[in-house]
Amino acid sequence: MIIVKGISASPGIAIGPAYIVKPDNTVIEKRRIPSTNTVWELRRFEEAVEKSMADLDASEAQVKSLLGSKYSKVINAHKLILKDPLLISAVKNKITNEQLSAEYALSVCVKEITSRFENLKEELFRERKYDLADVAKRLFENLTKKKQNKFSAIKEPSIIIAHNLFPSDTINLKSKNVLGFATDIGGKTSHTAILAQSMQMPAVVGLSDASLQIRDGDLIILDGETGVIIINPEPKILQDYKKEQIKISEAEQSLKNISSLPNETVDGHKVALYINYDPRRDVKAWDSFQSDGLGLLRTEFIYMDRFDPPGEEEQYQIYKKTAQKFGKRPVTIRLADLGGDKITQLGLGRREKESNPFMGCRGIRLFLKYPELMFTQIKAIVRTSAEVDCPVKIMIPMVSYAEEIREVKKVLKEIVREFSSNGIIPRHPLELGAMIEVPSAALSLDGILPEVDFVSIGTNDLIQYLIAVDRVNQEVADLYDPYHPAVLRTINFIIQGCRKKGKPVSICGEMASDPEMIPFLVGLGIDILSLSPRMFLRIKSVLRKLNFKDCANLAQAALLMTSSEEIENLTDNFPLSSD
Amino acid sequence: MLKETIEIKNRLGIHARPAATIAQEACKYSSDIFIIKDGMEVNAKSIMGIMMLAAEQGSSIELCINGRDEENALCALRGVFSKIFEEE
Repeated sequence: MIIVKGISASPGIAIGPAYIVKPDNTVIEKRRIPSTNTVWELRRFEEAVEKSMADLDASEAQVKSLLGSKYSKVINAHKLILKDPLLISAVKNKITNEQLSAEYALSVCVKEITSRFENLKEELFRERKYDLADVAKRLFENLTKKKQNKFSAIKEPSIIIAHNLFPSDTINLKSKNVLGFATDIGGKTSHTAILAQSMQMPAVVGLSDASLQIRDGDLIILDGETGVIIINPEPKILQDYKKEQIKISEAEQSLKNISSLPNETVDGHKVALYINYDPRRDVKAWDSFQSDGLGLLRTEFIYMDRFDPPGEEEQYQIYKKTAQKFGKRPVTIRLADLGGDKITQLGLGRREKESNPFMGCRGIRLFLKYPELMFTQIKAIVRTSAEVDCPVKIMIPMVSYAEEIREVKKVLKEIVREFSSNGIIPRHPLELGAMIEVPSAALSLDGILPEVDFVSIGTNDLIQYLIAVDRVNQEVADLYDPYHPAVLRTINFIIQGCRKKGKPVSICGEMASDPEMIPFLVGLGIDILSLSPRMFLRIKSVLRKLNFKDCANLAQAALLMTSSEEIENLTDNFPLSSD
Repeated sequence: MLKETIEIKNRLGIHARPAATIAQEACKYSSDIFIIKDGMEVNAKSIMGIMMLAAEQGSSIELCINGRDEENALCALRGVFSKIFEEE
C-alpha cells in the first residue's frame, strides 16, 4: 500500500482500477518525402488543420455550455493559433520547399515559435507557448490519426492517472467509465480542476511523480476530500473508504431534502444563509440552493490572469447576469480585493515588489491609489443596480480607517448622480458596507458604523492580522487558529457593536463554513452567514439541529476561556439536538 | 499600398486580447496586412506574430496594407485600434 499526498482539486471519493494515460514520447523522425509527393503531403496537413478546427468548434460549444463563455475564449485563442500563418504557412513552406514530412515540418516550426516566445520579457507572454503546445498536440494527433480518444479504450469504470491533462482532455472524461482522475502536476485553480468540479468528478492533482509509481489495473482509492490517493490499499482501509463513500452519497441525498426548509434553529431562531460566489464559476447546482442572498461576490477573480483590467461593460454584463440569478434577494458585490496573495499584473505602472504584501497596498488601499479602477467598477455596479430587481450592496475590503469609506461614498454619490441625470436610476437604494478584517477597524467600529449600512466580518484576514501570522508561510501556518480567544472575543466585540447600533452584520470568511464554529457564531447572535457553496447544505443542516439557547450559553462560556484548547474542546463536545 | 503609422496609446500596449482582436479583424480581408515595429515585420493575421511585437505604450507601429480591399481594411483596423486605446 502506498499513500501519495497531493492537492484536492474536486471533492468526492472514487475507488477503482487505475488506467494510465501514457505520456506522449513519440520522437518525430526527420523524414524527407519525394518531391512528387509534396502536394499529397500538403493535402494531408490541410486535412489535419480542418479536422483540428472542427474539434475546437466542438469543444468550444462544450466548454461554453459547461463553464460559460469566459472559458470558451481560451478555445477561441486556440482557433486563432490554428489559423495563424506564422505557423500554418511556415509548415506548408517547409513541406514544399524542403520536402519534409508534415509531422517533421510541424515539429520544427513549433520549436522555432516556442523559442521566440521563451525570449519574451513578460511571463504571461511566455506562457502562451502552452497554448501553442496544446494546438500542436491536436494537430499531431490528427496527422498521425493516433489519438481517436485515448479514453475510449477504457473497458471498465476506472480512475485516470496521468502526468498532466489538458482542459481539452478533461472535457472528454465525461463518460460513465471514468470515476475520477489524478495528475502529477496542476493546482487547485487550474482550468482542469475547475472543469472537474463542474462535472462533479473527484480529482486529485499535484501528486509529483505518482503516475510513475502506478501500474495499469492497480486498485486506487482517490480521495478528493483530503487530496490523497492510496495505491493498492489494505483491506481494512478499503473497507473504511467504501463505508465513507456510502456515507457521502447518503448525506448528499438527505441534504437535498432540506433545501426547501427554513433557515432556523430547532427553537425557531432565524439566521439568514447567504452564498459566496466566484464569478468565474457558474455552477448550475448552486442555483438550486435556496439561499437568502449573495453575501460576497469575489470580483477580484475577474481581474486575474490578464494584462488589462476588465472594462465597465464587461463587468456590468457579469454582475447583471449574476444578480439576475438571485431574483429579488440581495446581492453583495465586493469591490475587487486585489493585492495581498491575489497578485495580479494589471500594468499598474511600475509597482515596487512589496516585501510584505499582506500589509501593503491591497483592497481599498489599492483602489484609492488607482482611482480609475474604482470608478470603472462602481460604474458597472451602479448600472447593474438600475437593471435588476434585487437590492445591490457594495462592500469595501480591507478598511482600516473610516476616511476610506467616506472616499468611496463620495465617488459612489457622484456616479449615482451622473447616471441619474441620464435616466439610469438604481431600483433600490445602493447600500454600502465595510469588511471588518483589520484589527484597527474592529476596535474603532464606533467610528465606522455611522458611515455604513452593514458590516461583514472577513475572518480569514482578521485571524491572520490578529495573530500576526501569514497563513501562506509554511513556517508559521500552524499558528493560524480560528479558536484563539482573541479571535472569538474580537468577533463578539464586532457583533455586539453592530447590534447596539442596529446595523446588520454577517460573516463571510471560511469560519462561517466551519460546522464546528456554527453554534458559537449563532450563539453570539450573528444575523447572516455567507457560505462557500460547497458547504451550504451542510451548514444549513447543522443550523437546523441547533438550539439557540444552548448556543448562547456555549458562546458566553467560550468567551470566558483563555486558551484555544479549552474552546476547541467545548465546541467539539457541543451536542446537536437530534443527536 | 496604404501605409499608416499608429502610436500605441493604451497603458498596457498590445497584449494578448488586443492581439486576438486585431488578428481576427485582419483575417476578414484579402489584402496583405503587415505590422512593422523597430524593423520587425509581422503578418497582422497572425495572433502569435502580433504578440511577439510586444508593442508597449508610447511605441509606434506601421501598418502596411496591400490589396483589393486595402481601404476597407485600413478603415476597419483604425477602428479596432482606437477601440483598443479607449478600453482603459
